[in-house]
Amino acid sequence: MTAVGLLPWLSGRDPALTLLRARSAEQAPTPEALAAIRADLGLDAGPAGLLGGWLAGLLHGDLGVSWVSGTDVSATVVSGLGVSLTLMASALAVALLVGALLAAPALLRGRATGGTPAAVLAAVPEFLLALVLLLTVGVWLGWLPTSGWTGPSHLALPAVALGVPAGALLGRLVADALPVVFEERWVEAWRGAGIGRWRITGAAVRRAMPALAAQFGMVAVGLTGGAVAVETVFAVPGIGRTALGAATSQDLPLLQGCVLALLGLGLLAGASAALVRRRLLGPALREAGLALPAPRPRRIPLAVPVALAVVLAGAVWWGLLRDPYAVDVAARLAGPSRAHPLGADALGRDVLARLGHGAAATVGTAAAVTAAGWLIALVLGFVPGVAAGFSDVANALPPVLTGMLVAAVTGPGSGTAALAVTLVSWPPLAAHAAALVQEIRASRFLSAQRAIGAGPLWVWTRHVLPSVAGPVARHAVLRLPGIALALASLGFLGLGARPPSPEWGLLLDESADYVERAPVPALAPAVALALLAALAVCLSSLGTTRRTGPRSPGSVLASMKVRPRVLPPAPSPVSPSVRCSRSVAPGGRSADRLPRR
Amino acid sequence: MTPLLDVRDLVVRYGTRQVVDRVSFTVGAGEAVGLVGPSGCGKSTTALAVLRLLQPAAGTVRFAGVDLTHLPERELRRLRPRFQPVFQDPHGALSPRRRIRDQIAEPLRVHGRWSRADGPARVDELMERVGLSPAHGLRLPHELSGGQCQRVVIARALATRPELLVLDEPTSALDPSLRAEILNLLMDLRASLRVGFLLISHDHAAVRHVSDRVLTMRDGRLIP
Repeated sequence: MTAVGLLPWLSGRDPALTLLRARSAEQAPTPEALAAIRADLGLDAGPAGLLGGWLAGLLHGDLGVSWVSGTDVSATVVSGLGVSLTLMASALAVALLVGALLAAPALLRGRATGGTPAAVLAAVPEFLLALVLLLTVGVWLGWLPTSGWTGPSHLALPAVALGVPAGALLGRLVADALPVVFEERWVEAWRGAGIGRWRITGAAVRRAMPALAAQFGMVAVGLTGGAVAVETVFAVPGIGRTALGAATSQDLPLLQGCVLALLGLGLLAGASAALVRRRLLGPALREAGLALPAPRPRRIPLAVPVALAVVLAGAVWWGLLRDPYAVDVAARLAGPSRAHPLGADALGRDVLARLGHGAAATVGTAAAVTAAGWLIALVLGFVPGVAAGFSDVANALPPVLTGMLVAAVTGPGSGTAALAVTLVSWPPLAAHAAALVQEIRASRFLSAQRAIGAGPLWVWTRHVLPSVAGPVARHAVLRLPGIALALASLGFLGLGARPPSPEWGLLLDESADYVERAPVPALAPAVALALLAALAVCLSSLGTTRRTGPRSPGSVLASMKVRPRVLPPAPSPVSPSVRCSRSVAPGGRSADRLPRR
Repeated sequence: MTPLLDVRDLVVRYGTRQVVDRVSFTVGAGEAVGLVGPSGCGKSTTALAVLRLLQPAAGTVRFAGVDLTHLPERELRRLRPRFQPVFQDPHGALSPRRRIRDQIAEPLRVHGRWSRADGPARVDELMERVGLSPAHGLRLPHELSGGQCQRVVIARALATRPELLVLDEPTSALDPSLRAEILNLLMDLRASLRVGFLLISHDHAAVRHVSDRVLTMRDGRLIP
């Protein structure tokens, strides 16, 4: 909130200069003209003055005036919010429908079927699905309008694009949770007592609900981020598109208003999920009381991710041998040929070469983001409470939202995208690290170490750090494709890499305009992104199947979009002080059980 | 002559509950003292307080004349090699991800007594003494049985040539057949190394078999 309020001050580049250009292109940027604009905007008030003024305005419902258009921000935000809420509500309806369809086999037969397609569908970023729908249904088939917001027919495509990934995620969560619940002892007992199938199914759903409610909240938060992409693709005048426009033109008051509204929506979704949980569980039960056991690993043959990786790597390697910037004017928008295996783009550049070099750039950035997230997680994982707190904040922040905020401060660029994704990608890793640290601290072998006479430094560097760093690193690597997708989304929205650099999201954005004349250049990055999404899913389920050693910590990998949450330890009948002292008791038998996730 | 271990009026509280109530006893050099009692009577807590893995609420624990209860952590660490624990759950007391050899050598490394020249030989000797073959040293704890792990824990405890072993239910997590083996091993070690024992168990017969003297605890107090 404070960060949002301080945006004008945080912005490193001089907003006055940007505005001068936006308002009157001819006027020379003389110091006097800039000073006049600064005084006009109140930018010379300093950070405290700016924040105070903005907060005071906020209390009156006054969000200020747009720097670029001079219109009232509150009115723009309210009208955009109306459109976006309509879109999100329809998307939620689509999501529930899709989720119910996917969860039906699990409900009817008590086991998960067809989980992998659902998982891939859930990992496909909204902007890709939106673009594919726009091109197939809107352009080729011509069934539905492709842009604008004038009637119910305009609602259909955006709602489907936004709702299907969310629905796939919902369905997958339910389909993962139910089989585990059906294997619990009480189901057997109920069956033995002659209780009907449908009552048992109902009870199983209710049993799974509290654990899933939090995840459903995440799905709703994801909708706010997805809305930005979908509204941009379909030119829907919603709040997401307004925010994106404000971020790219550095119209900070408008961006402040929009981000505030989107954050508010996300927090509202999170809060209502928490409320549902509380109502279902009752005040007496704590969160961990009804935690679900880990879902059974989905069996994906190892050949699938290997094949995906080989196809991607092969294309990338082939592309890397070619020049991504060489312009062949004669080949503009040419189809696949011997000279250009995937055709050429609107400027006559080789698509395969751009795809290959783009992968190197995207994967390289994603690797750097992953490494940074891993380091931050290791440092902060050792500070109890911090990771969980930041996790909650990051859970309400889709990468697109941070991308817009960071872009407003530093201007768009690949560094911006990397920073934005880093900001939201470390908390789940830190939560994992914190859970592992907690588990190890509670283990008895640590007091054996004390008895040996090992000092804290020895214990932390020789025992705790190595047992945390490895699993968290594996977790981080598994998230790499998801991070690459997030980077591509930001590139697609114009918040990441700038032209002419060959970034996949940017490639898709550039070639989408010419799709009717040259489908292959648009199709190639879309297929590559879809393959990457599938790879992300395969890796995430590999992560849950591989367990080494009998005491290896429980994997906290969920899907790429659902971040693991740290649950508080199970309530113990003894007082907290007793628990502390018992946790160092090597001979203790009951009270120092590890709080399992 | 001062006893090796001299516990006076030891009091330990968990919150407001008094778990150990004014317990006093001594263990002489090379002596084996058994401490028996029903579960929940406070004998394991006594062991933890003696090892100062728990801070007692009152009383003194003197080891070789030095009061451990208020010793600064740094000086306590220097003294720790001289009194070593063996815990009930051998798997829990070992790191799941390090080889057995390294774990037996760890006390030597911690105290800077490791040398590349004779360190490995010392580990071999310790493993032989507790009845493990050198091949076991390359394995991980989860590849060994409970009895073998307990032997590893004992070897690790002996690495720094301690004068006192505090054995907290060393056999109760093991199969009955293994219990006798471990008890025999402990008796052999005591005879050959002249190390003092504080042996804690709820198994009267086993304790009587091994110990010179047996103390009985009930509800946090020693029964005279």
